[in-house]
Amino acid sequence: MGTIRIDGRDIPFEEGDNVLKAALAAGVKIPHFCYHHALGSLGACRLCAVEITPKETNKAPQVVMACLEPAKDGLQVCVSAAAARRAREGVIELLMTNHPHDCPVCDEGGECHLQEMTVDCGPPYRRYRGRKRTFPNQYLGPLVHHEMNRCITCYRCTRFYRDYAVGDDLGAMRLRNEVYFGRFQDGPLDSPFAGNLVEVCPTGVFTDAVFRQRFTRVWDLKTAPSICPHCSVGCNTLPGARDGTLRRVRNRHHPEINRWFLCDRGRYGHQYSEHTARSLLPRIAGASISYRNALTSAAEHIKTAGDRLGGLGSAREDLEGNALLRALMHKLDGAYAAFSDPALESAMAAAIVQRQGTAGASSLAKLASLAEMEQADAALIVGDLTGHAPMMDLALRQAYRRGAPLAVLHSTPAPLARFAVTALTVSPREMGARLSRLSELVADPSAASSTQEAALADIAARLTAARRPLVAGVVETLAAPEIVALAQLAMALDPSARLVYALPGPNAYGAALLAPAGSATAVLEAVEAGRIQTLIVAGNDPLGDARLGPRWRAACQRLDALIVLDCVATATAQAADILLPVAAWAERGGTFVNYEGRAQGFAPVFQRPEPLPTTADVIADLAQALDLALPDVTAALSDAIPGYQAPIPGTLGSPIPVSPLPAHIDVATRPESGPWQAALTTWYGDDPLASFAPALMELAPAPAARIAPAAASNAGIEDGARVMLRGPAGALALSVQLDSGVAMDTIALARATLVQLGVGHGDPLDLEQIP
Amino acid sequence: MEAVLTQHLDPAAPLGLEAYRGVGGYRSLAAAFDLKPEAIIKTVEAANLRGRGGAGFSCGVKWRLRGVDAAKPRYLVCNLDESEPGTFKDRHLLYGGPHQIIEAVIVAAYALQSERAFIFVRGEYATGGNGLKRALKEAEAAGLVGANIGGSGFDLQIDVHLSAGRYICGEGSAQINALEGRRPNPRHKIPRTSIKGLWGQPTTTNNVETLVNVPHILLNGADWFRDLGINGGCGSKLYGVSGKVQHPGLFELPTGTTARELIFDHAGGLAEGRSLLGFLPGGASTAFLLPEHLDVPMDFDPVAKAGSRLGTGGIIVLDDTTCPVAVALNLMRFFARESCGFCTPCRDGLPYLAQILAAIAAGEGQVEDLALLEDLCEKIAPQSFCAFAPGAVMPLTSSLQCFREHYAQHIATGRCPFGKANEGGL
Repeated sequence: MGTIRIDGRDIPFEEGDNVLKAALAAGVKIPHFCYHHALGSLGACRLCAVEITPKETNKAPQVVMACLEPAKDGLQVCVSAAAARRAREGVIELLMTNHPHDCPVCDEGGECHLQEMTVDCGPPYRRYRGRKRTFPNQYLGPLVHHEMNRCITCYRCTRFYRDYAVGDDLGAMRLRNEVYFGRFQDGPLDSPFAGNLVEVCPTGVFTDAVFRQRFTRVWDLKTAPSICPHCSVGCNTLPGARDGTLRRVRNRHHPEINRWFLCDRGRYGHQYSEHTARSLLPRIAGASISYRNALTSAAEHIKTAGDRLGGLGSAREDLEGNALLRALMHKLDGAYAAFSDPALESAMAAAIVQRQGTAGASSLAKLASLAEMEQADAALIVGDLTGHAPMMDLALRQAYRRGAPLAVLHSTPAPLARFAVTALTVSPREMGARLSRLSELVADPSAASSTQEAALADIAARLTAARRPLVAGVVETLAAPEIVALAQLAMALDPSARLVYALPGPNAYGAALLAPAGSATAVLEAVEAGRIQTLIVAGNDPLGDARLGPRWRAACQRLDALIVLDCVATATAQAADILLPVAAWAERGGTFVNYEGRAQGFAPVFQRPEPLPTTADVIADLAQALDLALPDVTAALSDAIPGYQAPIPGTLGSPIPVSPLPAHIDVATRPESGPWQAALTTWYGDDPLASFAPALMELAPAPAARIAPAAASNAGIEDGARVMLRGPAGALALSVQLDSGVAMDTIALARATLVQLGVGHGDPLDLEQIP
Repeated sequence: MEAVLTQHLDPAAPLGLEAYRGVGGYRSLAAAFDLKPEAIIKTVEAANLRGRGGAGFSCGVKWRLRGVDAAKPRYLVCNLDESEPGTFKDRHLLYGGPHQIIEAVIVAAYALQSERAFIFVRGEYATGGNGLKRALKEAEAAGLVGANIGGSGFDLQIDVHLSAGRYICGEGSAQINALEGRRPNPRHKIPRTSIKGLWGQPTTTNNVETLVNVPHILLNGADWFRDLGINGGCGSKLYGVSGKVQHPGLFELPTGTTARELIFDHAGGLAEGRSLLGFLPGGASTAFLLPEHLDVPMDFDPVAKAGSRLGTGGIIVLDDTTCPVAVALNLMRFFARESCGFCTPCRDGLPYLAQILAAIAAGEGQVEDLALLEDLCEKIAPQSFCAFAPGAVMPLTSSLQCFREHYAQHIATGRCPFGKANEGGL
């Protein structure tokens, strides 16, 4: 839009930019503390002092704050001016009057912004002779450590926590040089994004409580660009390892996805790879064995099975592992599937068909990156986005802050409902009808028939009026027809409408592209019928499936061999005849395809002292043991996805080539019987990997049967009452917790509870009061 | 000069609505409603009524610049958060006659066409604030506040807000944050609160003493008001004198009255045998003046010319038994305590200054300390976010100039010559 001149360099700027923003964007360094790209200018720290020369020649140069000075064409800025340097030195001197000299023992050492700024701007000596101010610290939960004496009062923490992430249990208290950033009382931070305090804090006030359990100096950490494996968003991360163990995960900036932040699942879920239950040695029937012997044994079982062979890939297995497993099955005439639940496979297929079109049809509705989701001016959210894709929640909080009306349809408690103009609880069984009706109302707003429909009509009106509406759904809690209904709704809106699905796993998109429709049913039925004798499971947990776990468990009894490749101790891994431990995500390179269909590569960060193979390595080794000429990973991938090119780790990723799926979607209808239905309630720390992360799991809600107050009163159930729940897999006594975020006739249950009962989202469930 | 603002004030028994009307109260409403709002603003501008909160900006100009076409709703905030040390004029207005304040707010709100006004009362003035609330109820019951006041078609809602905060809540934009229920940190000056203030709407903030002049100007005319002042000043002014004088108190006098007249005639002069060391002309955040300045008219421009600020007009007098180092320390401790904690120079700079002053006052000062104080003052004042810190260092900077030998003596002898290291000086 124009240029400013900083120390003789012309720097372009955009309308509305300030001098600091323009300078940083152009790579010109101006010292600062309280300014943050995502949080904007504040003007509190006073460090970004620069000298500007007004155009009027008779006016003397003036020291101003770069973060508050609007960029104007032709403005002359001098960062190195003596007056500006003196001002910055003064600020550092003042900040250091109270900052403790505990740098040698500070966790922030090596990445301390204050230290950097002190070296850059500060006086090399100390004049202050007074006492330093001290504070008591607070216990903020298992994730974030608090050390208030180090605070330089830049307000970044509260601006992130309260303003940006719209949390309310951390803030600034008191005044003068006693401003205290903390909670009203000790206790775990509520926000799913609390871990970002560690990164926004420029000093060591908020540090990574998990990292400091086994601390290492940050300059000794081995890092490499990685991708978060904990959900389908695909946030870019920078894991750090030392001595063959993973120590921490930090955000890695991706301009369209996570930008400066991560959710706590992504930041702290990595502890799964250091979990004591993780098996690092191959096992046969529970006994440790060498890799070579395990491989030989597995090869023998495969040879014996002939074409009675099955391969089950996974939504959390990388593209390479899935593709090679699929190639092995093709080679041996075995059957390959990627999902253990046919309903989920259908839902995924529906989502991808809606996303990239069926064969012959062009793309239907545009997808949205997180950055684009933030720009939505109205949004419909179906399901609990926070529990399934936390960073999508953070993106929608930005839309909310910009004034976009949010509407949430949810069966179980959804944190985003707090920010919604309209939040309706809808039971899983009713969801389809409600979405179809909403589509009709979008097409014809006057069709609203009753006052009961007023809320739906209101949602329809707001979405119709919007110029950048967004429709978002959670695939795991939607059936295929509902996913289609959601897409149709999006298409009925403005052509600029965006459609987003939170998918069930970091590589759910990629896995779905590799697994032909109906393959999940085919593999399960083949195992049940004895047509598969040897089953290779890579990163999947069919035995731990909520709905089909009992069937899989029974079916697998018939197998000659269950060969499992995994890095966590799932129910399936524990039941394996042959367990081949594989490298966890930070220990290997690979590719995930995120919810947008963006393929992103990740690089191996470190190796364990006893290096573990990747899934693709194990399958290649198996092929070698079988004397098979298996294509390499690249060939297997180009065979599965024509036109595929591996994205380079550390880049922005590349869109996966459109490879149309068959339009036929196997539709499983939800069973209608019974007064109560189960619903999956997740929280932000919940995923198959992160559930092995001890610190995060300290925060997991206690198991309970969550029921809407009205539904409970209809059934004569009181808050806290004990009830017996019965499902196909067993019975379980639980306490009732009344929660108005649950739909009528619905019992919201955690994933582990659903597994114990053997019911899936929307399945009927028996409830009996325990007198 | 006959008292104008304080004529009917009585903190012991403030006039109720009927009695206030009996002495001519609320007469200005009819006068105002007969005029176009712009005409009132013109009169106030012609009267040269300058802001009594301390800045001295022309009230009429402020109102005119707000603009007739400012977005609606527009708010008026009457600043009664008087917290400046040595200043007690607004307290007298509040406790002595709440109806005068309400009348003034109605007229000002009409001139500005504001539909809602807030009177922001210092929290410690709770008794007066509650009296103001009772008076407001009376006025509402009599139809003086509310919808269609006196058949004029003008609607006004007034809220009396008792501050939960501290000194900084007196700063205009911090006060707006406080009213919104936020931390009372001052706001960035762009955009101005007159464009984007309370809840993002155009907001005009005036000190209560400024506002109570307006009904009188309306009833008696701009020329009458200008003629009230002397030595070039306009209007009457509430001056306070405290410190080392025989009869400290509040005096309504013509604007432009000299410090000599205030200290020696009205406040009874110094105690027997004492001589004047110096004085702060207008509250704590002004620069010291010396005996040579006694004949400076206590008006905005002459005091500024003498190197200080008229501020609130609350004079604090130091005599020759007062330790100026202890006074500076007392003030700096006050400012360090009252800093809102938002920006670095103020939050961390003022306690630093207080620490050095405490060392000097206790006889533990070092020779380099005076240069250090000056260096810090020079960095703190221009670097800070709002006007609080510049005001806070002003008395110290001038104290170092005016009373340097006292500081040097403390450092050289290692003790306070007055034996008043920790007694606040006075």
